Amino acid sequence: MAEARKSMIKIKPKKYKTGDIVKVDFIVIHPMDTGLIKDKKTGEIKPAHYIDNITFSFDGKPFTTMKVWETVSTNPYFSVNFKVPGKGKITVDYTDNAGEKNSKSKKLKPKD
Amino acid sequence: MKRRNFIKSMMAVSAVAVTPVALMAKDEAKKKGPNDLTSEAAIKAITGGKEAKESDKIKLTVPEIAENGAVVPVKVEVDHPMEEENYVKAIHVLNTKNGNARCVDVMLTPANGKGYFATRVKLSSTQEVVALVELSDGTFIKASKSVKVTIGGCG
Repeated sequence: MAEARKSMIKIKPKKYKTGDIVKVDFIVIHPMDTGLIKDKKTGEIKPAHYIDNITFSFDGKPFTTMKVWETVSTNPYFSVNFKVPGKGKITVDYTDNAGEKNSKSKKLKPKD
Repeated sequence: MKRRNFIKSMMAVSAVAVTPVALMAKDEAKKKGPNDLTSEAAIKAITGGKEAKESDKIKLTVPEIAENGAVVPVKVEVDHPMEEENYVKAIHVLNTKNGNARCVDVMLTPANGKGYFATRVKLSSTQEVVALVELSDGTFIKASKSVKVTIGGCG
């Protein structure tokens, strides 16, 4: 069940200092099936399969949580702002309605 | 006496047997979309009956015309301070005509530094995208913009 999905965290801009507000972009490769589309090969309706919960945390402390529905596009992209408090690690945990759990993390290295 | 008990037990059994069947029938009727909800009901569920005022504080960026309804970029910026006691608590992205009116609920904290959120959503037809924002004092503000969709993206 727990196949590793391709995902990516991007921090924009690339150079930042402590106290700066940066963009944290999170992209994941996921079908986000709505449960309405027919499979072209088998002719059966594909069951809904979408990401439902996302948690952004910094050093284990969550700062943004999201509840997601199937109306979000395939290979979804989520972007939030974050005020850099110092060195640390941003972790994004996400689950989907089929019970898959994954996480991705990226180190924050502010240049002072 | 025996017969009375028998009838009673039969009734109990039939009641138990009927309920799951009824529930299943309901599920089948819902099959069109697993989480179908109208936008009025969705907004009511979020605000709890409170009124959401139209506000200039929210800057909602969506394309005027979307050629592909499966990928519509949505950007929400809220001009509001992000301090310990006065911050943007949540941003809800909703639509008006999809089967399921809800797209994303984002819960923010003061650590975010700014009320900003961006994503891409699917739109089935020409409709409005609504950004409903909850502030930490419990008030709601909203902004909406219409998007022309050439090809629907919900299957």
